[in-house]
Amino acid sequence: MHQDSILTVRGLTKTFSGVKALDGVQLDLRKGEVHALMGENGAGKSTFMKILVGLHQPDAGEIFFEGQALKSQAVSEVLKKGISMIHQELLVVPELTVAQNIFLGRESRGGLFGWIDEKKLNQEAGALLTQMGVTISPTTKMKYLSVAEMQMVEIAKAISNNAKVIIMDEPTSALSDREVATLFGIIRDLKTKGVAIVYISHKMDEIFTISDTITVLRDGKYIATQPASELDNTALIRMMVGRELDSLFPESVAQKGAEILSVRNLRRNGNFADINFEVHAGEVLGLAGLMGAGRTEIARAIFGLDPLDEGEIYLKGQPVRIKSPQDAIQHGIGYVSEDRKGLGFIPGMSVKHNITLGSLSNHARGPFIQDQSEAATAARMITDLRIKTAGPDQKVQFLSGGNQQKVVIGKVLLSSPELVILDEPTRGIDIGAKSEIYKLIKQLVADGIAVIMISSELPEILGLSDRILVLSQGRQTALLSKEEATQETIMHYAVHH
Amino acid sequence: MKRIIFYSFSLLIASFLTSCNQSSSGENGEKKLTVGVSMLSMQNEFIVNVHDEIEKKAKESDVELITVDAERSALKQIEQVESFIAQGVDAIIMNPCEVEASSPAVTKALAANIPIINVNSETTAKPSAFIGSDDVESARIAMKFIAEKLNGKGNVLMMHGYMGQAAQIKREQGAREVLKQYPGLKLIAHQTAEWDRAKAMALMENWIQSYGNTINAVFAQNDEMGMGAVKALTDAGLKDKVVVVSIDAIPDALQAVQKGTLNATVFQNAEQQGAQAIETAIKIAKGQSYEKETLIPFQLVTKENLAKFMK
Amino acid sequence: MKTLFKPDLTTADKPSRTRLRGLGQYGLLIAFIVVCVVLSLITPRFLTVSNLMIIVTQVSINALLAFGVTFVIITGGIDLSIGSTVAVTGVVAAMFAHPDTYPVIVPVLVGLAAGLLLGAFNGLVITKSKVPPFIVTLGTMTIGRGLALILSKGRPVSNLSDSFNFIGGGQVLGIPTPIIILIVFFIICSVLLRKTVLGRYMYAVGGNEQAAKASGIQLNKVKMVVYTLCGGLAALAGILLTSRITTGQPNAGVGFELDAIAAAIIGGTSTSGGTGTMTGTLIGALLIGVISNGLDLMNVTSYYQQVVMGIIIIGAVVLDSLNQHKNG
Repeated sequence: MHQDSILTVRGLTKTFSGVKALDGVQLDLRKGEVHALMGENGAGKSTFMKILVGLHQPDAGEIFFEGQALKSQAVSEVLKKGISMIHQELLVVPELTVAQNIFLGRESRGGLFGWIDEKKLNQEAGALLTQMGVTISPTTKMKYLSVAEMQMVEIAKAISNNAKVIIMDEPTSALSDREVATLFGIIRDLKTKGVAIVYISHKMDEIFTISDTITVLRDGKYIATQPASELDNTALIRMMVGRELDSLFPESVAQKGAEILSVRNLRRNGNFADINFEVHAGEVLGLAGLMGAGRTEIARAIFGLDPLDEGEIYLKGQPVRIKSPQDAIQHGIGYVSEDRKGLGFIPGMSVKHNITLGSLSNHARGPFIQDQSEAATAARMITDLRIKTAGPDQKVQFLSGGNQQKVVIGKVLLSSPELVILDEPTRGIDIGAKSEIYKLIKQLVADGIAVIMISSELPEILGLSDRILVLSQGRQTALLSKEEATQETIMHYAVHH
Repeated sequence: MKRIIFYSFSLLIASFLTSCNQSSSGENGEKKLTVGVSMLSMQNEFIVNVHDEIEKKAKESDVELITVDAERSALKQIEQVESFIAQGVDAIIMNPCEVEASSPAVTKALAANIPIINVNSETTAKPSAFIGSDDVESARIAMKFIAEKLNGKGNVLMMHGYMGQAAQIKREQGAREVLKQYPGLKLIAHQTAEWDRAKAMALMENWIQSYGNTINAVFAQNDEMGMGAVKALTDAGLKDKVVVVSIDAIPDALQAVQKGTLNATVFQNAEQQGAQAIETAIKIAKGQSYEKETLIPFQLVTKENLAKFMK
Repeated sequence: MKTLFKPDLTTADKPSRTRLRGLGQYGLLIAFIVVCVVLSLITPRFLTVSNLMIIVTQVSINALLAFGVTFVIITGGIDLSIGSTVAVTGVVAAMFAHPDTYPVIVPVLVGLAAGLLLGAFNGLVITKSKVPPFIVTLGTMTIGRGLALILSKGRPVSNLSDSFNFIGGGQVLGIPTPIIILIVFFIICSVLLRKTVLGRYMYAVGGNEQAAKASGIQLNKVKMVVYTLCGGLAALAGILLTSRITTGQPNAGVGFELDAIAAAIIGGTSTSGGTGTMTGTLIGALLIGVISNGLDLMNVTSYYQQVVMGIIIIGAVVLDSLNQHKNG
C-alpha cells in the first residue's frame, strides 16, 4: 500500500442472480490524483462505484479508506467519511434552492426549535461557489439551472461534505466545450487540495487530458492500471476491448441498386419542410445536422409515428400512404430509434420475445405462437449479432446499452425490411460494440438493403455514408457525395441558414 | 373546496327547483307541498317498497316529492338533507343509514324549522316523528318461532347484516333476548353476510363444513341472507333437517315459504310504513295534529297464513 | 409411443420458471401451501374433499373476474367496472331465464353479449378519448350499476328455470359446475396469454406502449380486445353468480372488482403493466378463498378477515417489489 493511498480496494466480487458483475477487482487511489476508470459498458464500472458509495454490498473483498477497513455500510456513513459521487443522472431536488440542495440532509440548525437558518446556509453556499469560481446565486431554485450548473452545485455539495474522494460518472455527457473547460479547472483545483477524483468517461480525449492514472476493467475483471502518460488511444482501446480493432469503419463492398425510397416535398409544420431525397438499395444515406435540425422528426414521419402535413413518399416508385408504424413495417421500412428505452424495446421482456416482437406472425400458426420456430430464430439472431446475454430468456433491461441496441436491430431486421432507418445507432454505446454495429451496417447494405443513418458523430457519418444529406433548422442545405464530404463542409452546411 | 363546490351546486339546484315549484303551484291557489325524501338504499327491495308507497300516497295528495338515494352512506345522507334545507322543503322524510352518523341530519333539519320524519329506522337525535317497526320485536318473533319448532333445544346459527347498522344491532338484540329465555338453545356461531344473498350462501356452505349435521336452525337477519342459507342447505341436502327463519317477507321469501324451503319470515309492513310516513309529513306541514311515534306491528308469516301476504 | 419418454432437448432449457416466473410466485405458492397446512392443522374440517370443492366453487366467480382483470392490468390498464358488469349481466340473463320461456342458451348468450358490450364500450372510450382507464371504468361502474337497477326496477329478478340454475348450481360427475367452468376458462385464458400472438402483444403493450407501437403493434386493437374480453369474463361470472343464487340481483357484485384486482396483484401481476400470469392470479384467488373459508370455519369474525386480507395484499406487493429490487 502506497503511503499516499487514500482508498485501496482488493479482490472485490459481486454477483447478481448468478452473474458475476465484479470478479476480484482492485484499485489504488492516491491523494490528489485523477484516476480514470475505463471499460466497455457492462465491464462493471457502475457496480464498482455503487459498492464504494454503499449502494450495493460486496460479496467478497476489502476496501480500505485512509488505512481503515470499510465494512458494509450505509450511504450516509460513506458520505460522512468523505466519499462523494456525482451521478450521471444528477440527483437534485428541482424545487429547492441551490443552497438547500448543497446542504440537503446537513442543514445547520439554529434557533430554539431546530429551525433551519436559511441565511447562514445561503452565505456558506455563496462562499463555496465563489471559491469554485462559478457565478450561481445560492437562492436560485435548482430547476432554473442548466445541467452544467447543476453539476457545479453537486460538486460544491461534495466539497462542502469535506469529500476526500469524489467519483464523477460521465460528468461531461451533457456539457458544452466551454463548460467542460470550467469543470476541468475545478478538478485541477481540487487536485491541488489533495482531493482524489475517480473519473468515468467514454470520451478518450478527455481521459488523456485530465487523468493521471488509468485503471481498465473488462467483463467485471481487473485488467491493468497504468499512468496515462504511458498509454495512447490504440493501447487503451486494446486493453478495454481485449483485441485489436483493425479498422473502425470497414470497407464497403455493396453495389448501389435500384431506388427504394424517394420523398418529395415533405413538410411537418414546426419541424421540417421541403425535404426531397432518395435512397437506393445497397446505399447508406447519412443524415447530418445539429440538434433540432429535424433529422429524427423526418425519420419518425417516414415511419408513421408522426403525421406529415404535406409531401409524398414513394417506395420503389409507387406512392404510399403511411399512417402508422404498422403500415411502414408492412411496406418494408424498419426504424431503430434514437430513444432506445422509450421506443426500442420492452425492458421487462426477454431477449427472445423482444427480438421476435415485430415479426411474430412469421412464427405463428393461426393465433398460436410456434415456440420452436420462435426460439430458433431468436437464437440465430443472438449468434449473428453477437448479442451478449445470459440466455434468450434474459430480460433486456439487464443487458448493456450496446446489446440492447443489437436486440432492437435484430427485431427490425426480422421484419425483413428493404429500408432501415438507424437513428443515432451508437449513442451511449462503448467502442467495441460500436465497431460491431458499423460492420453490421455494412453487412446490411451488402445484402442490398437501403440504409438511412442519422448521427451526430461526424466521423461515423463520414466513415459509413455513401451520400450525406445535411439539414439545418428543418431544411436540407446540402446533399454531399462521399468524396465532397469533410467535417468542415458538413459543419458549414449544418450551421447554414 | 369540495364542500364549497357541493354547497354552491346544491344552491343552484335549489334555486332551480324552487322556480320549478312556483310554476307548478296548485291551480286552486293553495301552495303545493314539497317533501324531501332520503332513502337508505334504492337497491334494497324493502326500501324500494316503502318508497313506492310514499310516492303513491304523495301523488294522491298532490305533494311534490324529491327523492334521493343515500346509497348507504350517512355522510351523503346528511349532505342530502342539507340540500333539502337549502331548497326550503316543507318536510323531510329520512330513512336513516345509521343510528349515530345520520343524527346530524335530524338536528340540522329541526334547527332550520323543517319537520323531519324518520321512517323504518331510528337515529339518536329525536326527529319530529318516527314511523317504523321495532326491529327488536321482529327478531324476537323469529327466534321464538325457532325455539318453538325445536322445542327449546338445539344448535342455532345467526347471520348478521352490516355490523353496526341499527337493524343489525336491534335484530341481534331481540334474538339474544329470546336465546336467553331458552337455555337449551345454543348459538354455535354467528357471522355477518352483509345482507347479501351470495355472501350468505358462501357463509352457509362454510358453516355446513364446520358443523354439518349438528345444525338445527338458522336465523338470518334479512330474507336475502335467508334465501342464500336455504340455497346452500338445499344443495347440501340438509334443508329438511334445518329450520330457517328470516325477516322482511320479500316476494322471493314468500314463495320460498310456500314451497316449504323457508320455514318462516317476518312481515314488516313496507306499505304501512311508507303511507304513514307521508301522511304524517303532510299533517305536520299543514300544522295538523299527529302521532310522535307510530309503530307498525310485525307479523310472522308461515305456510298457514301465507295467503294473506301473497299478492 | 417411444418418443413419449424421449427427453425433449429443444425445450429442456426452459424450466417451469417461465410458468411461475421469478421468486415472487414461488413465494406465493409456498405461502399458499403454508396457509393450507396451518388451516388443516387448526381445523380438521378444512382438508376434506367436500370443503375443498366448496372453496373452489366459491372462488370461481372471483377467479373468472380476476382472469379478465389480469389481461387488462398486464396491458397497463385497470377495469373497475367488472363488479357492475356482474350485476347487469346477471339481471339481463335472469330476465330471459324464467321457466318455459327461452332455451337456456338464450339467457347465457344475452348475458354474455351485455358483458362484451360493456367491455367494448370501455375499450372504445379508452382508445378513442385517451382518458385514463381508471376514470373511464369508474364511470362505467356507475353506469352499469344504474343500468342493472333500471332493468330490474331495483328488485331481484327471480323464478329462474332449473336448466339455468344448473349452470352455477349443478354437478357433472360429482364435480360442481362452477369448478368445471373455472378450469376450462383457466386453460383458455392461460393459453391465450402464453401461447398466442395476442397474449404476447398484451405483455408488450403493458411493458412499453411506445415501443410496442413502434414494433408495429396496433395498440388500440389490443386494448379493445382486452377490455372486451374482461367484460365477457365478468359476464360469465355474473351468469354463474345469478345461477348459483337463483336470482338476478341488481346489487350483486358490489366491490367485486377490488377482490379481483387483489387476486391478480397477490398473484404477482404488476400494476405498472407488462407482467403477470394466469397461474399466479388463480393462486391469488384461491388464497383469498382459502383464508376466508378457513376463518369462517374457525368462526373468526369478518372484522379480522378484512384485516388479514389487507395484510396479505400489502405483503404480496412488498414481496414483489423486494424481489424486483433484488434482480435489479
